[in-house]
Amino acid sequence: MGKMERFPFIVLVAGLLFFLFADFVSWALPMFVLKDIPMKKVSDLAAEAKAKNTSAWADFERLAASYPEQFKKYYGEVNEESFAKALKIGHRWYVAEGCWNCHSQMVRPVSNETLRFGIPGVSNTVSYPSEFQNELQAPVLWGTKRIGPDLIREAAVHNIDWQVAHLYNPESTSPGTNMPGYPWFFEKDEKGNIVPNERGIGLLTYIMWLGSWEVKPTKEWALK
Amino acid sequence: MATNVATAGGEVQVTNLVNYTLVKLHVAMGLIFFIIVGLMGFLYSLQLDGIYPFPGIEFLSAGRVRMIHTAGAAYGFLVNMFTGLLYWAVPRFTGYKVFNEKYLGGFMFIGLQAAVLITVVAILFLGMADNVEWGETPWWLDPIIVAWLLLHAIQFGAPIIKASQKAPLYVTGWYISAMLVWTPLVVFMGNFIPRFWSAGSGAGAVQSTFIHDLVGLYVTPVAWGLMYYFVPVIMKKPMWSHGLSLLGFWGLAFFYPLNGVHHYLWSPIPMFAQYSAVFATVAIEFAVTSVLINFMMTLRGSAEVLKYNVPLRYMYTGAIFYWITCFQCAFHVTLTFQKVIHFTDWVTGHAHLIMFGTFGMWVLGMAEYVWPRLFGKETMYSKGMSEGAYWLLTIGVIAMFVDLTAAGLVQGFDWIGLNPWIDSVNFSKPFWYFRSVTGIMMLTGLLMYAMNFYKTATAGKGLEAQLRESA
Ligand code: HEC
Ligand code: HEM
Repeated sequence: MGKMERFPFIVLVAGLLFFLFADFVSWALPMFVLKDIPMKKVSDLAAEAKAKNTSAWADFERLAASYPEQFKKYYGEVNEESFAKALKIGHRWYVAEGCWNCHSQMVRPVSNETLRFGIPGVSNTVSYPSEFQNELQAPVLWGTKRIGPDLIREAAVHNIDWQVAHLYNPESTSPGTNMPGYPWFFEKDEKGNIVPNERGIGLLTYIMWLGSWEVKPTKEWALK
Repeated sequence: MATNVATAGGEVQVTNLVNYTLVKLHVAMGLIFFIIVGLMGFLYSLQLDGIYPFPGIEFLSAGRVRMIHTAGAAYGFLVNMFTGLLYWAVPRFTGYKVFNEKYLGGFMFIGLQAAVLITVVAILFLGMADNVEWGETPWWLDPIIVAWLLLHAIQFGAPIIKASQKAPLYVTGWYISAMLVWTPLVVFMGNFIPRFWSAGSGAGAVQSTFIHDLVGLYVTPVAWGLMYYFVPVIMKKPMWSHGLSLLGFWGLAFFYPLNGVHHYLWSPIPMFAQYSAVFATVAIEFAVTSVLINFMMTLRGSAEVLKYNVPLRYMYTGAIFYWITCFQCAFHVTLTFQKVIHFTDWVTGHAHLIMFGTFGMWVLGMAEYVWPRLFGKETMYSKGMSEGAYWLLTIGVIAMFVDLTAAGLVQGFDWIGLNPWIDSVNFSKPFWYFRSVTGIMMLTGLLMYAMNFYKTATAGKGLEAQLRESA
């Protein structure tokens, strides 16, 4: 038994060998299974949104039309580059604000989740590996806690105007909610209206992009 | 550290194996961060209650505060506390000093506080965080943390290697040796692989392994190692069974790292990885049970000590919470339980029972044991404060655990029932309010504990001074 209780044996066997074996089982093997799924960059995601004219693209256009002054100032024209920029900024602040501590991004195949988070006639799929195989899911944003609902199918749930009001002051759309308001994602325009700023437009684009790849056909917005 | 001790033959210089200053500094900072971390948790719980006191202030945004709570618990509180206690225990059980006290020790101390401070500034003020739970430190800071952990391995590895050349290591030595290698690997793996070498489900597999390994391959081995040192020392008798010690260590070493994926059951990670994680989790229950049986049997015949020895009581209370956590785990790791409790407060209850109830209680017990000795005092300043803190913390954490477990069941079944989302928020509110109350209890306990520490350090004269006077 003497050897087993000495530094070199412990470090080599327990410290390195067992650790590497565990990484092999819980990381390398799953990676091997998943290796054929193409990895998408943000620019690929933007190109895809435009080519397929997804609901996220329509929402982006709508943001540009609703807040022309801010949009022009921070993003310029509606094109793939500005869409990619908005996604990146939105993702960054989604992480930095810890939205992922209250919202998951994963529909599980159990507990009626496809019914709860899927939209009848639009999408009732559970989460699948390829929808996470992109730059914005590294590290992955599945989350471990739900205070608010899952967001991976958010594109089909509310329209963009609801999202703007909700992000500024959640109480205004959802009485009794405990989600904090995010006034620093907004600024005043020339007329004194409160409008989303650079970070706000990014975050709204990002939220409305979540699940937009599942929304078929592109949804029609009922403008109120 | 060298002290002059007066003897019949004049003053002799006694060199101490342990550098008291480093222990004091790390333990004190750990305690301060413990309080800050608790405050942050309490603040965030007010957000859930819907009565957040600082709405609309960007740098006090609740989500950011929550990340300080978890990252601060890992690096500010636990790493400081454990490092301080290792400075006490490692030289004592090996018989050798750590690698370098003055320069490396000082540098590591300052480096650690700087890393935590940078994290706080980055998360609160710069909006830079990382969506790896427990690794919220911005990714550019992570290489520095890994470098720090390598220094940490040199600092504590040196005496252990020396001791190991002479004789087989004591149980504590096994745990610490393996931990010194694991921790830098874990931090490296958890923060870099999901960002640079994988995404999506692959990243999820690594991230879940990271959440788990930081607990299982850093916190657990240090804590068990220290327990194997402090419990026999306090009770003045050896552990009950060497065989069980071996079984516990090798069981942990083999099965713990395989557990990670159980954090993402029913996720898009390939099912074989999920099943193997569930299997390994059930296996780890046996390892944990063997360790706990060993500690309980060591206590046999000495249970009287728990009545008056508060440090030992913290340790055994923590051990019982440990067993409850693991018992609970055997159930909720199953795919059936996961349907209901995943994403709910059940998990948060579990996290606090183990992190606060077990590891928090253990380090508090160990710190309370070493603190009077560091200042040459016979006992802590106030027995009343000592007892008060113990009971507030114990009752607080039990109440929090029961409350959150119940809340988790309510939330889980409510979600399955397809009620409007806001219902689950409303149903949870009473539980969340109660959780805030338990948070106040725990914070009060902590403040009382810290006050006692402060008084012990400053009030009255040390034994040495008293001896000098009477001589
Ligand atoms: C303290 C927890 C908390 C945090 C932090 C939080 N949310 Fe929420 N969120 C909620 C709750 C609770 C709801 C459900 C009630 C409501 O509509 O407000 C919600 C609802 C939502 C919805 C509507 C979901 C739906 O399908 O009805 C969106 C979108 C959303 N949050 C986005 C965000 C974003 C973006 C952030 C970060 C900037 C964020 N949330 C941070 C708790 C939180
Ligand atoms: C004063 C005592 C404490 C209070 C009031 C408190 C409160 C909280 C709150 C409100 C959350 C968020 C839960 C959620 O997202 O719903 C949380 C999460 C967490 N806390 Fe604490 N906390 C305390 C002490 C600690 C300590 C000492 C530790 C670790 C050593 C700790 C570790 C954690 C962890 C790991 C999580 C994440 C849990 C999860 O994802 O479910 N907490 N805490």
